Amino acid sequence: MSESMLALVGLTAVTVVFKGAGPMLHRVPEPLARRLAGLAPALLAGLVMSEVIGRNGLPHVDAKMAGVAGAVGLASRRAPLAVCVVAGAAVAALLRLVT
Amino acid sequence: MLAALPVVTAVGVFGISYGVLGVAAGIPGWQLVVMSMTVFAGSSQFAAVSALGGAGGAIGAIVSGGLLNTRYLATGTAAGRVLPGGRIRRALLGQLVVDESYALGVAVGGPDSPDPDAMLAAGSMEWLAWVVGSAIGVLIGPVVGDPMRLGLDAAFPAMFVALLWPLLDRPGARRCALGGALAVAVVAPLAPGGLELAAAGVVGLILAGDGDSPGGAGNAGDAGNAGDAALGGPA
Repeated sequence: MSESMLALVGLTAVTVVFKGAGPMLHRVPEPLARRLAGLAPALLAGLVMSEVIGRNGLPHVDAKMAGVAGAVGLASRRAPLAVCVVAGAAVAALLRLVT
Repeated sequence: MLAALPVVTAVGVFGISYGVLGVAAGIPGWQLVVMSMTVFAGSSQFAAVSALGGAGGAIGAIVSGGLLNTRYLATGTAAGRVLPGGRIRRALLGQLVVDESYALGVAVGGPDSPDPDAMLAAGSMEWLAWVVGSAIGVLIGPVVGDPMRLGLDAAFPAMFVALLWPLLDRPGARRCALGGALAVAVVAPLAPGGLELAAAGVVGLILAGDGDSPGGAGNAGDAGNAGDAALGGPA
């Protein structure tokens, strides 16, 4: 099975369980819910990091990083999601155009 | 249900960008569309595509994409109180309860009893828009051209930044984010292939722990914040 096929099957299974468990069981213990609330910020920050570091674990300063910096600036000013994404891509594309 | 139209449109556009980025990451188009049908959770699908396109592989895709969906345990619990039918039927209908459909249900019925009809109608429309959008993205993806030249590689981290930022106001969220980022930087060079994202998740679970009661900072507005419709992105 290819990596992407494996991901499709695995992610489907995990997501169906997470979406179905609440309606099926009617309650999730409060301490568990509080713990799980820490997952989203940790994972999202981790995903950003994994996108901008090289094989040595250190951040790469390049056009992509500049795009991310632009997105951070916009997101911290409460810009909508689509604006952050388009601006991030545009900054990277423009820098590559001129360099 | 006119209230759902702007959201449904946004979900469709979001789906197109998912399809384009997925094709650019080298994933077969049909798998991207099937994933939209079966997973139907935007932020986690973007995370999966990002992991598959990079060093994370299938493990990274399942770990990061799957764990992002743990928030549906909370929204699903609230939705489960009002969904009709027995356990199996409720679990199936629960697949349509995503960030936006839940938020619309809450807008109609309140946080304690989200309106089931609004939730399911909005969820169905969003599902359709998400799948059709994904398919359009997959079809136009190859025409779009070199993804690097268009900066599409920066679109992923930019999106994760945009999803992360609104969460940082919650108690404990900053240290979880910092810990998750550090975990990836430390673990990725040692053991790439998805483990770094699992490490970030574990660090988040640990740092989320005790001491802080969510909303304890007197942030009453948080409670009405469409429950945990935290990951602003469509679906």
